[in-house]
Amino acid sequence: MREQPSERIAKDAVKAWQLTAHLYAIIPLILGIAGLIVSNYFDFINHWIGIGLLIFSVVEWSITALIIPKIRWKRWRYQIYDQEIYIQHGIIIVTRTVVPMIRVQHVDTEQGPILKKYGLSTLQISTAATKHEIPALMEEEAADLRDQISKLARVEQDDV
Amino acid sequence: MSEPKRLHPIAMILSAFKTIRQSIFSLLPIIILAVGNSAWFYIMMGAVVFIVLIILISVLTWLRFTYQLEDDQIRIEQGIFIRKKRTISKHRIQSIDLSQNILHRLLGLTKVQIETAGSDHKIDASLHAVTMEEGKLVHDQLKYKRQFVTEEDITDDQEQEQTNELKYPSETISPKALLLAGSTSGSFGIILGLFGLAFSEVETFIPDQLYNQASSWLFSQALQVLIVLSIITLIILWAMGIVLTVIQHWNFTITRYEKELFITRGLLEKKQSTIPLKRIQAVGIKESIIRQPLGLATLYVEIASGEVGQSTETHTLLYPLIRKQKVEEFLNKLLPEYEYKQINWTNLPKRALPYYLFRMMIFPFLALIPVAIYFSQWILAPLIVTVLAGLLGYFQYKTIGYKIEGENLFIQNRLLSRDTVLVKHRRLQSFQKKQHILHRKQQLATLDTAILNKFVGRHLIVRELELDDVDRIADWYSYRDK
Repeated sequence: MREQPSERIAKDAVKAWQLTAHLYAIIPLILGIAGLIVSNYFDFINHWIGIGLLIFSVVEWSITALIIPKIRWKRWRYQIYDQEIYIQHGIIIVTRTVVPMIRVQHVDTEQGPILKKYGLSTLQISTAATKHEIPALMEEEAADLRDQISKLARVEQDDV
Repeated sequence: MSEPKRLHPIAMILSAFKTIRQSIFSLLPIIILAVGNSAWFYIMMGAVVFIVLIILISVLTWLRFTYQLEDDQIRIEQGIFIRKKRTISKHRIQSIDLSQNILHRLLGLTKVQIETAGSDHKIDASLHAVTMEEGKLVHDQLKYKRQFVTEEDITDDQEQEQTNELKYPSETISPKALLLAGSTSGSFGIILGLFGLAFSEVETFIPDQLYNQASSWLFSQALQVLIVLSIITLIILWAMGIVLTVIQHWNFTITRYEKELFITRGLLEKKQSTIPLKRIQAVGIKESIIRQPLGLATLYVEIASGEVGQSTETHTLLYPLIRKQKVEEFLNKLLPEYEYKQINWTNLPKRALPYYLFRMMIFPFLALIPVAIYFSQWILAPLIVTVLAGLLGYFQYKTIGYKIEGENLFIQNRLLSRDTVLVKHRRLQSFQKKQHILHRKQQLATLDTAILNKFVGRHLIVRELELDDVDRIADWYSYRDK
C-alpha cells in the first residue's frame, strides 16, 4: 500500500462528471433568477436574496464543474491483481482500499444515462460487509473486469 | 420416518396470549376512555369479539401446523389460508436450541429453535411448544453429532457424564460475580427509560385530582426532600438492574464442543444458544468506564448470523463478567483459536494527540463561547464539560493501539468504554488507508477495516496511526504474492 495503483479510469469520466455538475447547477440557478424576478415585483422581498443565491450557485457551479472533476480523475486509480483489488480515490481525504478476491461476493456493472452517453459504466464490488466501486470505466473494459474478477473470486470460500 | 405431529396444545394458549399482550397497549386507552360512556357496551362487545377472533386464529394456526421428522430432515407445514411447506435438511442446520419460559417450565415443555446457515432468518424454524422429551428427540434426530448432555444421561450414566465433563471445557458464572455484573452494568439507565415510559403510560390512568394533589405535595416539599427522593428512586432502579441481570444470566454456562460454543442461562426463562465456531468473526473484550478501574470486563463475539429482530444487540455475549487477568486463561480454555495477551501494544505517535483532543473538545468549546459571552455566571458547567471531553480525548489517545501476532490482528479502541477486538486475517473483509492533507504532511494515516456481523458489517477504525504502521498492517493483510 506504499505505491499508488497503476491504472487510471477513462478520461471521459471528467466530461461525464462535468455534465452531472451542470445538471445539478440548474436548480439553484433557476431559484436565484426566480428570486431576482420576484423581488422586482414585491418590495418586501430583498433583491439581495436573489443575488446571493445566484452568486452562490455560480461559484458552486464553477467549483463542481471546473475544478473537482479533474482532481477527482487524477486521484482515481485502480489495479487488479490475481489475489486482490487495489483502489485509490478521494480529493481531500485520500483513501486506498484493498479488497481480497476471496472476500468478493459479487461484482456488478452499472450505467446511468449520463455514463451511457459517453460509453462508460461503473464497476461495483461487494463483499459480505462492504461495497466498493470503480466509476466510469470504458464499457467493454468494465465488462471484462467484471468477468475477470468474478472468475478470480471463484475460489472456494469459508462460510462467509 | 414418523407421522406428522402437532405442537403441544399449550402452543395455542401461548400464541393467543402473545397476540393479546401485543395489542393490549393500543387497545387499553380506548377501553379506559369508554368507561362510563354510553359506548361502553359496544366497546366491550368489540373487545369480546376481538378476543374470540384471536383465540379462533390461535386454534386454527395450531391445527394447521404440523412437523414431521424424516431420516435426515424435518418437514414443517403451516398456514391457515396460505399453506407453507418447508423442509430443512440436517446438513443445513447450524444449531438447535431448546429454551423455556416460565409457562414452559411449569408444564415441562420446551421451545425448539432451528437455525440454518443462511443469513436469511426467514428460513429458520421454531416449534413453539413441545414436550421436553419430544424436544430432545428432535434435537438428537437432527443433530446427533454433538453429545448432548441431558438430565437423563446424568442419572443414567454417571461415568459418561464425568468423561463428558473432562472432554469439554466449560465455565459457569458464580452468583457473586453475577451480582457484581449487575451492579456495574449501568443498565439502570435503560430501566430509567422504561420506568419513564411506563409512567407516561400509567399517568393517563391516574385520576386528575389525585395526580394534582400528589404533584402539588411534591412541589411543596423542600429541595432536600426532593433530592433524597430522587436518590432513593435511583437506588431502587439500580437494584432492579441488578435483579434483572441476575435473572437473565443466572447460572450462565458456556461449554466448548468441537465445533461450537454452547451457552445456557436464565433463572425464570431458560435459554440455550449455540454459536458455531465457523461463524465467529471476532472476539471482543469490553471494559466500561465503571468496570475498567475494577479490572473487570465483558466478553462478546461478533457472529455472522441472521437472527435479526431477536435482540437489538449487534454482538453476542460470551461471558457476562470476568477479571481482565483471567481473559487469557478463559480464551485458552474455551477458544484457543484466539490467543490473547495484554502486552506488546503499538500505540499512537505523539503527533496524533492534537487530533484526538480537537475532535473531542471542539463542540463543547464552541458551546462554551456563547455561554461565556451571554451567561458568564454559568460558565462553569460548559467549562467542566470541555475539560472532561479533553480528558476523554487524552484517554482515547492513550488507549488506542494495535498488534499483530501471526494470523491475528488485535485492535484496542475506545469511544467511552475500552473495547479490545481480536480478529483473524481471513475475517477481515477489506482494508482501507485514509489520509488527508495534514496526515500526509505528518506521516499519519487512518486505518479502516471491516468485519461481518449480524446486520451489515462493523468497521474497525484506528485514527492517526503512524504511516509506517498502517503500511505494515497493509503488507500483513495483502494477499498478493510477496
